[in-house]
Amino acid sequence: MTTIQKLFIANRAEIALRIVRTARRMGIATVVPLHSQDQFGPALAEADETVEVFGTPAVAAWLDIPGMIRAATDSGCDAIHPGYGFLSENAAFAKAVEEAGLIFVGPPAPVIELMGDKIAARRFAVTQGMPVTPSADEAEDPATFEQRARAVGFPLLVKGAAGGGGKGMQIARRAEDLANAISVARAESQRYFGDGRLFAERFVEQPRHIEVQVFGDTQGSVIHLGERECSIQRRFQKLIEESPAPKLPAGLRDRICNAAVKLAAAAKYVNAGTVECIVSPNGEFFFLEMNTRLQVEHPVTEMVTGLDLVELQLRVAQGEPLPLDQDDVQFGGHAIECRILAEDADAGFVPDTGKVLLLNMPGGPGVRFDCGVTLGAPVTADFDSMLAKLVVHGADRTLAISRMRSALAETAMLGVTINNDFLSRVLQHPAFARGDTDTGFLERHKAELAPAAFTDDERQLMLAIAASAAPDLSATCIPEPYASMGAWRN
Amino acid sequence: MAQLIAKMTTLQFSDTPDTRHQVQLRTDAVYVDGKPVQVRKAAAGSFMGMLNGCTERLRAVAHGDTLYVQLRGRSVRINRVDPTRASAIGAAGGAGASHAPMPGVVVSLLVAAGQHVGKGDALLVIESMKLQMTISATLDGEVAELPLAVGQTFQRNDMLVRLRTSGDAA
Repeated sequence: MTTIQKLFIANRAEIALRIVRTARRMGIATVVPLHSQDQFGPALAEADETVEVFGTPAVAAWLDIPGMIRAATDSGCDAIHPGYGFLSENAAFAKAVEEAGLIFVGPPAPVIELMGDKIAARRFAVTQGMPVTPSADEAEDPATFEQRARAVGFPLLVKGAAGGGGKGMQIARRAEDLANAISVARAESQRYFGDGRLFAERFVEQPRHIEVQVFGDTQGSVIHLGERECSIQRRFQKLIEESPAPKLPAGLRDRICNAAVKLAAAAKYVNAGTVECIVSPNGEFFFLEMNTRLQVEHPVTEMVTGLDLVELQLRVAQGEPLPLDQDDVQFGGHAIECRILAEDADAGFVPDTGKVLLLNMPGGPGVRFDCGVTLGAPVTADFDSMLAKLVVHGADRTLAISRMRSALAETAMLGVTINNDFLSRVLQHPAFARGDTDTGFLERHKAELAPAAFTDDERQLMLAIAASAAPDLSATCIPEPYASMGAWRN
Repeated sequence: MAQLIAKMTTLQFSDTPDTRHQVQLRTDAVYVDGKPVQVRKAAAGSFMGMLNGCTERLRAVAHGDTLYVQLRGRSVRINRVDPTRASAIGAAGGAGASHAPMPGVVVSLLVAAGQHVGKGDALLVIESMKLQMTISATLDGEVAELPLAVGQTFQRNDMLVRLRTSGDAA
């Protein structure tokens, strides 16, 4: 067993800060990367040290394996936490970290490699009795791929074999759409993953995205920390996640969770991982993929279990056994996460850029705001559009929804368009309240989710406030706090 | 009222740039298109106002001539305009020019300057925050300007490509 003294976090924004906080509580020093294009991250002020990293465009610095390892070793770190995204699921990185004599906070490289190859992962899942959808793999015989894909039947999902994160995916609803779906998916996969190899599988209509948080230790113990439902998606990317999954029968939940544990155990899985499944309206479930890292949405699991997943990760990475057995895991209440993105959700989810001129973070009982920006931070196209995660917990789902809506209204990041109001409209939709969620939710309810036009009174009030906020106009005219008169007296 | 000397400005919502509003800040109220509206500053960036008899908290901040206001979690962009300007800012370059809808980077150029293209032809691909978009020809003509190279970044409203029809002067 090795004790981690100093941890390098090969990441940025909210997740870097989230990892810093746990490490600090455990007495582990932290180092985070600093880039000339990313000087406003909240982790920079909270970590013990920063190390300058280089790359153009900026994300290149976070994808540079030797650069990240050099930053870690130069600053005297003995372990690297990859966070999510960037190099977190790169087997070559995990291998290079270990070869440099550092601890990689994640699973061993061979497991990352197995699960990173979506086709190999499916084959492995099948050997462990996990159901998968009917499919066709181009690599088996490229010449007959289109024909075999056609034979699987429609609707058909065509995606990059090396893909993930919703990139390079196309749905062909009819046979005549197939050729185009193949060419678009191939071009996108080539561009995003440098690998144009394709894979086609039956598209399950109205699928719910249910995933299971699993954890393994080096002693061979594997447990699950329950499920998360992540069906509210746009462009195959998650917007809202919750735990427990609403309307999931207990028997089905147990079968999915147990199947996930069996799969992870068979893969000799170590550290945090997530087994993603789709569940059909009639209760069938199919293996989708396994993510070999901490998930963006891990806080909902933390809120219902009371566990700190990063602490478990660091302990397991040190060679400690998991501090609890399956029976020790307690689930309480309901948690929901909303991803706060820099985008105009009402204009087709188009990304926006700007600068955080005013920042108001929500709070109160059961409210957690993992924020990746600080006041004055530029929001550029250099990085992902996720600016923060708002996570709430309540005794039941109704209370959680109510807390979330209140917290979303309290959230302000003026200077860039964010999706907080759109998320609130999703949460107040009757179908969401009923738990009738599947991955087609946003598309199906598009019309009802559109914002109501502002009334004339609302517009007048906003104009009056706008003028009042202009420093050159308001200086002498608007009453300051405690200097107000008449009806406004406190 | 000892004095009603007002400061004045002209505002427009970014989503309705054709409608202008006259706003006067007087000592008794803020007048929007002549109608008095009661507002109070509660703290930096935080304001109170009345709406249908209820008190509402709004957040607002200025950035140059752009004013950001949030009401009940929903934010809007309001611009201060110079009332002497004849019209809202139009995109330069005429009908054949395409401008960036958002900041981003050029992924690929599918045509070259001087090339003839037909309406709807794909001209270039741009990307912003992982979202790719193909810019297509708005008319039949010749590629007059293609100012950016692959990998080059641009800001919102920058010109990406300009076409000219055979009748256009260079």
